[in-house]
Amino acid sequence: MQTRIRKSMIGAAFGFAIALISGGFAGILAGLVAGLINGYVVPEAEPLADKRRAIVQGLTVALVGSVLTILGIVLRNVVIDPIIGVPLNLIGVAIAAVGAVLLCVLVSVVMCVVRTEPPARERIGMAIVVGIILVTYPWLDQFLNLRFMNEVIPVLVFLLMALGLNIVVGYAGLLDLGYAAFFAIGAYAAAMVSSPHFGLSLSFWLAIWVAAAVAAIFGLILGSPTLPLRGDYLAIVTLGFGEIVPIAIKNLDNVSLSLWNYPLFVDVDLTGGTKGINPINRPWLPIIGEFSPSNPIPWYFLILGIMLISIFFISRLRNSRLGRAWTALREDELAAGAMGINTVNVKLLAFAIGATFSGLAGAFYGAYISAIFPESFRFDVSVMLLCMVILGGLGNMSGVILGGIIIQFADRLFLPQMSTVVQKLIVASGNESLRDINFASDFRLLLFGLTLVLMMVLRPQGLVPSNGSARVLPVAAGEARHD
Amino acid sequence: MATSHPRVAQGVPWRSIGKILIVIFCVLFLTLPLIEMVKAMIADPQLLVRQLLIGLTNGAYIALIALGYTLVYGIVELINFAHGDLYMLGAFFSLTLVGVFSLTPETPWLIRGPLLVVVLLATMAFTATLNMLVDRWAYRRLRGIGSRMAALISAIGISFVFQNLGLLWGYLRFPFMNGVMGSNAVAPKSFPALFPNVNLLAGTGVRFGAKDLIVVGVSVVLLAALYVFVTRTRLGKAMRATAQDRDAAALMGIDVNRTISLAFILGGALAGASGMLVGLYNGTAVFDMGFTAGLRSFTAAVLGGIGNIVGAMLGGLLIGIISALSDQYISTKWTNAVVFGILVIILVYRPTGLLGDDTAQKA
Repeated sequence: MQTRIRKSMIGAAFGFAIALISGGFAGILAGLVAGLINGYVVPEAEPLADKRRAIVQGLTVALVGSVLTILGIVLRNVVIDPIIGVPLNLIGVAIAAVGAVLLCVLVSVVMCVVRTEPPARERIGMAIVVGIILVTYPWLDQFLNLRFMNEVIPVLVFLLMALGLNIVVGYAGLLDLGYAAFFAIGAYAAAMVSSPHFGLSLSFWLAIWVAAAVAAIFGLILGSPTLPLRGDYLAIVTLGFGEIVPIAIKNLDNVSLSLWNYPLFVDVDLTGGTKGINPINRPWLPIIGEFSPSNPIPWYFLILGIMLISIFFISRLRNSRLGRAWTALREDELAAGAMGINTVNVKLLAFAIGATFSGLAGAFYGAYISAIFPESFRFDVSVMLLCMVILGGLGNMSGVILGGIIIQFADRLFLPQMSTVVQKLIVASGNESLRDINFASDFRLLLFGLTLVLMMVLRPQGLVPSNGSARVLPVAAGEARHD
Repeated sequence: MATSHPRVAQGVPWRSIGKILIVIFCVLFLTLPLIEMVKAMIADPQLLVRQLLIGLTNGAYIALIALGYTLVYGIVELINFAHGDLYMLGAFFSLTLVGVFSLTPETPWLIRGPLLVVVLLATMAFTATLNMLVDRWAYRRLRGIGSRMAALISAIGISFVFQNLGLLWGYLRFPFMNGVMGSNAVAPKSFPALFPNVNLLAGTGVRFGAKDLIVVGVSVVLLAALYVFVTRTRLGKAMRATAQDRDAAALMGIDVNRTISLAFILGGALAGASGMLVGLYNGTAVFDMGFTAGLRSFTAAVLGGIGNIVGAMLGGLLIGIISALSDQYISTKWTNAVVFGILVIILVYRPTGLLGDDTAQKA
């Protein structure tokens, strides 16, 4: 009972934060999230076989979750909103609170009951619950007037990249600090072939494969010099590549190449320089027509589809011969080589496959914002991705997804929303000196930095540790030698 | 060196094919531009000397930062990623003090000189303390657990925390700071021109100002002091012993943790001095200047042979000169790429650097 309540504080905290920061009808979403997280986390800590007790369990965790969520809703809509000048709407608050409680109870109970099923059916049941939520989300968003969709799509793009980075860092144990370079390469490859830039206006559906292939080839090219390196030197070399690629992209806008005195081509604009490439073709489907920037729903389902296919492939790879070879490589390269694993090929494949997913993400992102600029792929993107992977737990896909969601939502939704609220509170309180602090962009780096340091110092295995003992990062920090 | 075991032929020899392709590419496409560059250098020797002098000044401050990397790496094998950002914080701290003492170009030299020395010493003390505290909180407990990755990731995190501190520093507008931070927190901060801007080589067509002399002079004094400290004193001996073999040093009665702290203190002090010198020399400081400076200095440390003190000084000088030449003869836009390229090439083909011994990569 004690663990049940303690564990259900995790989801409750999420519900509280979302309700407090977002305001309006977002409280309903907060209840949904609280119920989902608690329904996942609590049965994991306290498994029950009996349906009736599972319902009780679901109700308990839903109670904790909804109490805190309602607290958040009330605090935001009744206390903060009047201060910052939003009129108090009691009926709206009541609707949000009731909706939050209903959804929270429904989801927690269903999840708790599903978790009592035997493993095979449990997996299908969970997939159905999560699937229903994911598929209905766009309409929920529209119905509740949340306008989160334009942030959810980039979140999914970055999650896809985090999954790709997890292959390189988590599975194969190669610390890659320049992973954003492959995102840039994929995005530019797709942009070059599917925009008027070179007059090649290929369809998005072809360009995305071009992007994946080019990114994979660059993964091989940039990975091959790093083969004899390990550990920190490998990290620095990948960081170097990660910085060279954006510099090159920025400056390759008038390329002239001559073979001795015979000019091969003169003043070719390869990448558009600082102006970037713009516009990029959008995908087109028979019934929907061309995806429009004003309607995010087709984009949402497109990236969701790419994500699901990627997750399927990655989980199959994980358990394949190659996946086991990566694990062996990560644990001990010499021993892996002695066991007959071709360490060269296995490493290169990790780089190439990891880069492929980044290339896919880049192609999608370029088409989505219909433009691409060299400045969007710097070191902070690589570190943010690393943050997502490390927060969730290296080498564990569900951990990486959880960590990615936390970091991404904190970066894109919570911090900006909190910033506006705090801004308004400061203005209301009449304090002039703090007025121009932007609480979103001025604290982003601190968020990433502190996440990395605290995770390393306190919980190097991540929020959801992977099952195998990952030796890339030590399992327990307490085993220190003599320091 | 566990990594250099001979590779048994495994199918297609991709590595040798790759090497041959790289050589062919270089011969075909890079020879002519290189010849052109050398021609340009010979054609205008005055310009060349000017760039070399700029390189000397840049090299001096790069060497100061590079020493911090080398001292720490030599002892705990940690790439202290946050070191470049420590240098940035040094610049911000010194700018704050300049504001507090309300130093302006009009302040008479009798007051300005001693106060500048006070600012330098205070900045060094500040960055040294900060570096030591960070080591204690963020790196110490990650040592000796078999993986160097954890400490490196922690250092990357600290680097971002420092950058954010630098950003927030711009919001400090206490009345006693006399408005040195300007009105926009994120924008580059400007230093008052406190160093005299006279050309010592006037009339020769080459420029080497008094401020260049100050930067080079202070750097050389600090580097010499560090060299003497490490090679001639008991504490320096303890540092060298710890770098060679931490366990054996501990058995000989050396307090290893204090010695490691000492390395962080010395490195931090040099980074702070460098931050102040560069801030006053260039006249500006911005919160994200640590990343590039840090990577250039790390390249310098690796080029000289990481863990080697003289190597870091030599590497700093070389990187300063190379970037000055690249600024002039290639393009400023490509200088960072050139430096990163050098870093990659050295790490891949000669990880021991110019002066390093074979223990550089103990992996």
